[in-house]
Amino acid sequence: MMTSSALAGYLIVSGLLLVIGVVGFLVRRNLIVMFLCTELMFQGAAIAFIAMGRYLFDYSGQVMVIFILTVAAAEAALALALVVLMHRQGDSLDADAFSELTE
Amino acid sequence: MDISCPFLRFILDSQLKKTHTHYMDMFLPYIACLTFALALYAALRPSPITVRVGMIAVAVAAAGWLLGLVAGSLSVFADASQGVFFVIFSLCAIASALRMITHDQPIYSALFFVLVVIATAGLFVLLEAEFMAFALVIVYAGAILITYMFVLMLANQATSQDEPDTQAAYDRIPREPAAAVAVGFLLLCLISGTVIKGTDISIPGNLPAPGNPQAQWATLEHLSVQFEREVAELDPDFAWPPVSDEAGNSIHIEGTEVFIIAEDGSTLMLPDSMLPRNTQQVGWSLVNDFPVSLELAGVILLMAMFGAAIIARRAIELGEQEKRRVLLGEVSKSEDLS
Repeated sequence: MMTSSALAGYLIVSGLLLVIGVVGFLVRRNLIVMFLCTELMFQGAAIAFIAMGRYLFDYSGQVMVIFILTVAAAEAALALALVVLMHRQGDSLDADAFSELTE
Repeated sequence: MDISCPFLRFILDSQLKKTHTHYMDMFLPYIACLTFALALYAALRPSPITVRVGMIAVAVAAAGWLLGLVAGSLSVFADASQGVFFVIFSLCAIASALRMITHDQPIYSALFFVLVVIATAGLFVLLEAEFMAFALVIVYAGAILITYMFVLMLANQATSQDEPDTQAAYDRIPREPAAAVAVGFLLLCLISGTVIKGTDISIPGNLPAPGNPQAQWATLEHLSVQFEREVAELDPDFAWPPVSDEAGNSIHIEGTEVFIIAEDGSTLMLPDSMLPRNTQQVGWSLVNDFPVSLELAGVILLMAMFGAAIIARRAIELGEQEKRRVLLGEVSKSEDLS
């Protein structure tokens, strides 16, 4: 049995990871590191899902994390393909260098 | 004091109560959030490595303080070792996440993210989600992060440790750290305030009571082959199938005792070791509760694969001469075949 205070601890950890991911996404200028920060936000969401699922004895929380993994994998594949394409065109990973995508 | 408006009175009452009991306690979590944000800001700015690591240590300490304020003590966990491991894993995850967003070199950022994933997997094990813990390590640390590493090594020019100036400027200089940390601070205050209020079970209707672990027995009834085999192992003389009640449940739960009843009236107690494992529960929930989402996940993965292949394909420019040669080559090949 899990107490609500323990649940609060897990939720705070997940919130901290989410916040660090948001700050990193805003601060970093390297495109690949920005996408890594979105993965960090996914981690925070996954901890919240699993802690809630454990508290309520509902396994839907863990199923949601499976879907998070799916979306993260799809996002990584697409985002990295885009980054490779942009790096080929601009020879840089600076997000500001791509603020204008028009030719 | 007579106040006619009930809403006003409610606010005043709660304010008075707070001032008398723990006026300062209300603000302590937000002070922890502020400390965290200030240390994060100092760690983000370009400065010597020792300053950065020191500031990250301060931020981790503030995060630990916030955790302590919210969760209370280690005794809220099922046993003391679980609390200790929770503190270790969560602080490890937060510290490596901070180092990840402050490190100059993207490769090291990716490696610190692997550490975050492993610490998160440790938290999942504490939450009795073993399957997700291993899936996380295999899929995230094993597959997704390797893809990131590949692209980083493909795109990044090599830099040496001795000459930090060779690192690209966009990796060394952060973009608007003050604004970003302000956003993060507000978000963190919002989250911690919501968590503190939301998990306070003394407020009625706030959070449902902890779930009943005995609800897990319902899954065993759906796994009929396993159910029958385990009952046969437990008691070979049991007359299968057991009697079910009006709702169709054959497993009866009274207090802590779980039993099934045979046709002839004999009962059989079921030990806790017969409960379906975590992986079985997750698999059952996945195919039973979310069948459409499961199919959609497959479609998303397929589309991502097509999309990545099409986006990253290198278009080859062919001149007129090359085109003609290719066409002629095709023609001559088909002639050879005939």
